[in-house]
Amino acid sequence: MAKVLIIAEHDGKKLNGSTARVMTCAQGLSAESVEIAVFAAEGAAVAEQAAAISGVTKVLLIENPANEHATAAILAPQIEALASEYSHVLAPSTTFGKDLTPRIAAHLAVPQISDIMRVESPRIFDRPIYAGNAVITVEAPEGIVVGTVRTASFSEAEKTGSATIEKREINVELPSHTRFVKLETSGSADRPDLQAAAKVVSGGRGVGSTENFKVIYDLADKLGAAVGASRAAVDAGFIPNDHQVGQTGKIIAPELYMSFGISGAIQHLAGIKDAGTIVAINKDPDAPIFEIADFGLVGDLFEIIPELEKALA
Amino acid sequence: MPEYKAPQRDMMFVLNDVINVSELAELPGFEDATPDIVQGVIDEAAKIIENTIAPLNETGDREGCRFDNGTVTAPAGFKEAYQLYAESGWTGLDKSIDFGGQGLPYTLATAVTDMLSAGNDAFSLYPGLTNGACEALVEHGSQELQDIYLEKLTTGEWTGTMCLTEPQAGSDLSQVRTKAIDQNDGTYLVEGTKVFITGGEHDFVENIIHLVLARLPDAPAGVKGISMFLIPKFMINSDASLGERNPVVCASIEEKMGIHGSSTCVMNFENAVGYMIGNPNEGLRYMFTMMNLARLMVGLQGLGVAERATQGAIEYAKERKQATAINGGATIIHHPDVRRMLMTMKALTEGCRMVAYDTAKQYDISKAHPDASVRKTANDRVELMTPICKAFATDTGCEVASLGVQVLGGAGYIRESGMEQHMRDAKIFCIYEGTNAIQALDLVGRKMKLNLPQNFITEMAAKLEAESSNSELAFILEPMKIALELLDETTQWLIKAAQEDPQNPAAAAVEYLTLYSLLTHGYFWVIAAKAALIKQDDSFCQAKLATAQFFAAKILPRVHSLAPAIMSGAAVVMAAEEDGI
Amino acid sequence: MKILVGVKRVVDFNVRIQVKADGSGVATEGVKMSMNPFDEIAVEEALRLKEAGKAEEVIAITIGPKASQEQLRTALAMGADRAIHVETDEDVQPLTAARILKAITDKEEPKIVMLGKQAIDDDNNQTAQMLAALANWPQATFASKIDVDGDSANVTREIDAGLETLSIDLPAVISTDLRLNEPRYVKLPDIMKAKRKPIETFTIAELGIEPAAAVKVLKTSAPAARQAGIKVASVDELVAALKEKGLI
Repeated sequence: MAKVLIIAEHDGKKLNGSTARVMTCAQGLSAESVEIAVFAAEGAAVAEQAAAISGVTKVLLIENPANEHATAAILAPQIEALASEYSHVLAPSTTFGKDLTPRIAAHLAVPQISDIMRVESPRIFDRPIYAGNAVITVEAPEGIVVGTVRTASFSEAEKTGSATIEKREINVELPSHTRFVKLETSGSADRPDLQAAAKVVSGGRGVGSTENFKVIYDLADKLGAAVGASRAAVDAGFIPNDHQVGQTGKIIAPELYMSFGISGAIQHLAGIKDAGTIVAINKDPDAPIFEIADFGLVGDLFEIIPELEKALA
Repeated sequence: MPEYKAPQRDMMFVLNDVINVSELAELPGFEDATPDIVQGVIDEAAKIIENTIAPLNETGDREGCRFDNGTVTAPAGFKEAYQLYAESGWTGLDKSIDFGGQGLPYTLATAVTDMLSAGNDAFSLYPGLTNGACEALVEHGSQELQDIYLEKLTTGEWTGTMCLTEPQAGSDLSQVRTKAIDQNDGTYLVEGTKVFITGGEHDFVENIIHLVLARLPDAPAGVKGISMFLIPKFMINSDASLGERNPVVCASIEEKMGIHGSSTCVMNFENAVGYMIGNPNEGLRYMFTMMNLARLMVGLQGLGVAERATQGAIEYAKERKQATAINGGATIIHHPDVRRMLMTMKALTEGCRMVAYDTAKQYDISKAHPDASVRKTANDRVELMTPICKAFATDTGCEVASLGVQVLGGAGYIRESGMEQHMRDAKIFCIYEGTNAIQALDLVGRKMKLNLPQNFITEMAAKLEAESSNSELAFILEPMKIALELLDETTQWLIKAAQEDPQNPAAAAVEYLTLYSLLTHGYFWVIAAKAALIKQDDSFCQAKLATAQFFAAKILPRVHSLAPAIMSGAAVVMAAEEDGI
Repeated sequence: MKILVGVKRVVDFNVRIQVKADGSGVATEGVKMSMNPFDEIAVEEALRLKEAGKAEEVIAITIGPKASQEQLRTALAMGADRAIHVETDEDVQPLTAARILKAITDKEEPKIVMLGKQAIDDDNNQTAQMLAALANWPQATFASKIDVDGDSANVTREIDAGLETLSIDLPAVISTDLRLNEPRYVKLPDIMKAKRKPIETFTIAELGIEPAAAVKVLKTSAPAARQAGIKVASVDELVAALKEKGLI
């Protein structure tokens, strides 16, 4: 029977929604236990949130000042010390998980399964290759299964649980060769996180400028949505990179995705394929985004957005 | 406008499987042209052309060149793209190592020009004309002139022009009036007006080197009295720095139907200082050195514009949904007539590529092969194929560009689609560097007298015979055999009819060139089909074979209307009284 | 200081791949192959560090079949000084690749190993991190800015939350993201010069590497396609449709 360890992603205060999505993936492993490890300087609040995720057997809280801005180099040895108790070690396939888990797998001398999108059995998974243009079904060899979970492929688990929280101390030597300097974030704190948001409003090159992106933000605020962007808009400098949706940015699965002025390059489409409902607004009736949109509206976004706001008011 | 993507798969197929480019590496001087270098050159040229030059095609067309009091400004981005292209060494690809070139085969330069023309045909003219000037200098210039000018032309630091045409002297250069007076100090003062001078003035480089046809005062009348002069925009000081401005002035630029990004200048030579190239009164012969290469280049422009139109049409047809096709397909590529147009475009374009690349290879052999008789045979092929590469490929450019607009329907007629630009650009290729009629007259005149068309008919027949046991090729061998007999018959008729009335070949020359070109394409389609048969599980080869079948069934039969038309003679063409027309 | 740069031969970025009907993989016959775009960025960054006087030598390395030398030649034409080819026709997965890179790193002792953050064929995004783990070196993944200063470097990383800066001691492994730089165009004379630059060749056995246990690929399939929906004619129609689905 599988014993699963999930590495929680958080910012010190709040548990990232991706963790509950990994939980849903773990439920497919017919596991006897699913534990979540919270590495933090002070992590009681995060641990409580993790304990509320349905299906969690236990939350391990590993508090250590070194875990304040946890880097892969600091976390990996601590996780390796725990790993022998588990059959699976999973993390979300966010930049946090992608950075971390290969470092663990290499030390455990096992391969890693990246971007798990479907669980067939505890050792057999589907994962995307070629920017999602093909899917391979893979079987992990013997040993601990280390993987990252493609969050867009799994919904968040319910939050009705109340698992126990166990404090652990892990005494391993931690390296000093990697030091956190700073984190520059662009998003406002009260806007929902792009990867966790139920609704996303996204702008592309067609928005035209940084100033014009204000209309996208305003609409997002009215809808309570996160703001996304195409690579073209990011490359043009209209909006910071952490808003980029697509193969090289974030892969998201909101319930509602509304795109404005995005033509729909294949790399962008790869990032939104799992959205519940896709709405596309574009001037060009032949824009590829209409091929996958549930609702398409041909027209000028600067005329349509005010109309939308009026209709929503 | 759709992006240009170099058709690298087809280019490599032609280079490797049709013309066997690797043979060139065995020739002295071309040892570096190994498969890895060929691949590297195509890859990297494709990158720079796709990303920096092709995107300027549409903006260059809209913006055009601007003239202001003697100066010409090319469309935004052209200067920077040209400088990057030159600094990256592409202008010197096939030029002598002695002057800063890379000494690679002309065949590779041809493949790069294929991409450059398709990417941006107006842009391609600036380095293109420089090539002609270089070639004339290499072949006929004094050591001193070569030392001063060749390196900077090779590296693209300077550009070159060909100043031939005058208002009264277009296709007929015997009418050239520009005068050159010997100063008895090694220089000449040149006075006159030249028109339609491509790249005569622009803002890319600090110096422009004009090669100019002019007459000495005592020169015989007609073409036997034309000399060639090198006239720099800026004089060169003894320390190689730029000196005084030479009085060669751009008086205006033309407003044209297409190739708006290329500056077409009226150039006034107001007692400009020039240096004679070679000997007096031999300018026309030297001019043909430039002209033959320029004609091959223009053929590549025809190929390029055809390629770009084909790409645009295929891309559109794969996406555009309009009336469910008979086979149930949603997009218009499933409609048989759209497919007919696309396959025609594809077959003609790919055929032109095979002929162009093979001619380039023959050019390399004619220059580099150690055996004089092999060089001669190769040179004969180049001589024969030059009018065919020029005229048929540029006619193809027009036909394919027109089909491209047709495939897009109303959208194609609108500027935004980018397809109408190809149609406008393509027409000039049929006109400059000798109109397509002049090419055809060359084929039925001079080339026929040298027996060149006849010799290649024999070679084609031998090829068909050699493959005759290959039943998988019967689909093309059988119609080719019939068509070749028809070509042979037509050729014999032309030779005989020319003796009865010289108007007979003149009236039929263009049709004959088309007929001859179709057989030439067929010859290469046999080779291509044979190569494609080996790898039929590959979708590229499957399509290649299908295209060969399409050519044999739908395009080659054009010979059956051309042959009787040719043999109907000149009388029917000339019968109407001039006043009644 | 030496920089070792990894270069992988992959199906060209512009090729639309086709899944084989029998599920045995992706059709690569005759398909255009190129250097992994993230690796191109890594090569460019290494060259810029050399041009800025921060490094003396840039060594390109690839693991793959004979034809991978084309990608090494591209790296050499861009400006790498020499190249190493670990030749194999086997499918090399990230952990094995990391072990090979570790062996070469032990030999060459570079101060920085620069790798693309992921290859655009298998999209694993693992090798750099695994190499850092095996070498017990710092790692800075998804780099969008690199400042090398003596024995340490400040690396800005593109992460989900924004831009994170780490200070790392050298030697280290850095993986490159898209916005780190724009790779240069190769100059034609440099293509010719690259032909004369040395490529050293090893087999995996010669390096004494034990290939890692592999993930087994059972089948390859095309992704489920999303169906196109409908076009609405007005904002009112759109709002009505979204309301009906309970989305707004």
